[in-house]
Amino acid sequence: MLNVLIVGVGQCGNRILDSINREAFGGGKFSKYYSRQKFPSQVETIAINTAINDLKELRNTKAKDRIHIPNLHGLGANRLLGKQCFIDNKDMVLRNISERGDFDVAFVISSSSGGTGSSFSPPLIKELKNRYDYPVYSIMVLPFREEGTIYLQNSAFCLKEMRDSGTDGIILADNQFLKNVGGDIQTAYDGINKMIAERVLFLLEALDSEMMMVTDLGDFKTVMAGGAGFATIGFAKGDGNTPIKNVIHDSLSPNGLLFSSNVYEEGSRAMIILRGDRKHLNIDDISSEIEKLSSHIGHVFKGVIIRNGEAPKVLSVLTLETTSELDNLYTLAVEAIHMERDKRGRMAIRKEANATFSKIDGLEPEY
Amino acid sequence: MKNNRIIIHTLLFIFIMNSSIGVTSADNIYDEKIYEGDGYQINNYFIEVSDIMLFSGDLALEVTIYQLKPDGSYEELTTSTTVSENKRRFKYQSGSVEITVNEKNLTSQYTIVDITTAGIVIEYETAVDGGVSNAKYIGEPSLILTKEVDKTNVEIGDIIRVTIKAKNTGNGIAKRISIDSGITPGFTFKSNIYTTYPTELGIGSSFTQMFIYEIQAADGGTFSLNPATATYSSSVFDDEYSSTSNRPSVTVAAEAVETSVLDLKVTADETKIKRGDTITFTIHVQNLKDVPASTIRIDPIIPGNMTYISGSEDVNIISEKPVIQESVYGARYEKDYTITLKADEIGSNELIVKLTYDNGTGIVSKKEISSGTFIIEEGEFDYLAEYPLYIYVTPILIVVAIAGWLYWRRNQFRM
Repeated sequence: MLNVLIVGVGQCGNRILDSINREAFGGGKFSKYYSRQKFPSQVETIAINTAINDLKELRNTKAKDRIHIPNLHGLGANRLLGKQCFIDNKDMVLRNISERGDFDVAFVISSSSGGTGSSFSPPLIKELKNRYDYPVYSIMVLPFREEGTIYLQNSAFCLKEMRDSGTDGIILADNQFLKNVGGDIQTAYDGINKMIAERVLFLLEALDSEMMMVTDLGDFKTVMAGGAGFATIGFAKGDGNTPIKNVIHDSLSPNGLLFSSNVYEEGSRAMIILRGDRKHLNIDDISSEIEKLSSHIGHVFKGVIIRNGEAPKVLSVLTLETTSELDNLYTLAVEAIHMERDKRGRMAIRKEANATFSKIDGLEPEY
Repeated sequence: MKNNRIIIHTLLFIFIMNSSIGVTSADNIYDEKIYEGDGYQINNYFIEVSDIMLFSGDLALEVTIYQLKPDGSYEELTTSTTVSENKRRFKYQSGSVEITVNEKNLTSQYTIVDITTAGIVIEYETAVDGGVSNAKYIGEPSLILTKEVDKTNVEIGDIIRVTIKAKNTGNGIAKRISIDSGITPGFTFKSNIYTTYPTELGIGSSFTQMFIYEIQAADGGTFSLNPATATYSSSVFDDEYSSTSNRPSVTVAAEAVETSVLDLKVTADETKIKRGDTITFTIHVQNLKDVPASTIRIDPIIPGNMTYISGSEDVNIISEKPVIQESVYGARYEKDYTITLKADEIGSNELIVKLTYDNGTGIVSKKEISSGTFIIEEGEFDYLAEYPLYIYVTPILIVVAIAGWLYWRRNQFRM
């Protein structure tokens, strides 16, 4: 059984972590009161945040698994402040992690755009990589593009720093891409979080299950080592009547992926895990679809988990050689950086205005 | 007897005449027919026509005079007989007493005689059929006197009517009866209502109303009225007699001293309650008089199967019992107190309230009253108590365990 560490950093990372915990309990609102977490592996979860209120909002993550970085009430999306804060508190964070024991793999979940998550997760992964020899993967959530210039520039710098941190792979999830979940903002966020949580749990199961056709952590490492260091996860679920090849295809389609990508053109390596009743898992269909994918991207690992009576589900992990969507993001980020620089220039002019006002310092009006 | 009515009228006339003449003169008493074997009684003397016989061709009259004795026997008296013009005269003489029977006419069946007496006050005389054996001894009179009152419990100033009755149970006529009503100290004579009582009561008379008068109670207390006294006489024995009545008892309430009187009432707000419910009693105390009462103490006696819960501010708990104490209850003062009890057991109950107070004269008055019966029925959930303990303990333990688990689990997820 694998020992897995999942760390959620910042508000976004905390909420996805809480959603993972909730799904592990069974997904119900009150499941935690009567159910045990059904992680396929030995999983430790840790939520880290500088905002105490964000930690208090968590409902399915035990209090002992929440680390509050003290003396702060959030970073206000200021990554410089966040990075300094991590340096100040990293001993406490790392001590807490080390107390959890040894792990076979770690996932660090965070947003690329916010304060705590985007500024803490790259140095945290760097520290973990320096201290431990297990692979550490980042699950990074990209912002809605219209959320603002600071978030865009934060994402740009965060992704770059994350790539430089020594992480074993960055799994991208894009809020912009996933916003078609619909509903109000709360429902949309909950839906996105749940979607990511389901994929993570399925991935853990794929890495740590006795399967008819085996994939394991080694396969995952190999897949994640491919490409440009970025990856995404696809997921699809059939209804029993849907041919398995269609389900596989759906998991690789934009509707099934967490990040917009043309996997057949941009993909580098892949791992496809199929789960369900054996009657739904037609080997010919599976093989033909896998072959189709491998003919485009190269190697594809596949695993099959037999669950009697269960409708077919497919999880696909794909590393990307290139990603046009990321290019688009960086284009917008550069614009955002320029925009912020312009703002700063305007602020300098305001300072001149302040110098104008200072001309009457020490004078009083005469009447 | 054929001529009885005539004889009685005649005798009455003779008696009246004799009475007016006096005892020393010779009285002509009777001159009517007396048949053979019959006779005539004067006081305790009996003149019997013993025989009418034929003697030497003529009818001859034989008369015997007897002295009647108290024991019913009689003694034949010695008489002298003289004959003049073929008419006989019989005479008895002893001292001043003289009885003379003169034959006036004689037939074979009867005779008409002229009877005269001297030295005798005639109390009783009558013709008697059947001779001396049917004569009745005339004895002494004896009056029974009764005194009756129309009420025996009165207050000062009340009028009491007193009735005196008399009855002659002797075997002699009571004559010249005089009644002394016998006024009792403590009573004031008010008026005579009936005073025309008879002065003579015959033998075997029934109770006869003799005297009615009214008296007024003047003093308090229980009195035995002085007896009435009747004095009477009988000329047969020339003696005076007297009889006294009974002494009826009359209680005259002493003049009331003004005291305080506390009225006590207890009412319950329910007549039927369920076990475990409460019932509230209102104790109403009122001074009905103008005299203040003092040292008032009210003790509600809590039934054994009830528990005292609360009471109005005047209710104190002394020795674990509710007690109400007031120093003074002014004239006409009234006050309500409440106590609330809880029903512990089913059944019927009543609240007894005891009241003691000084009624203003130093005397402690006591009063006790009941609220009336009220019913305690089975409580709404009493049937649950009939189940064994584990029926309750098990689910409670489960609930507690679940609650404990939820609390512990919730705290695991709280920060």
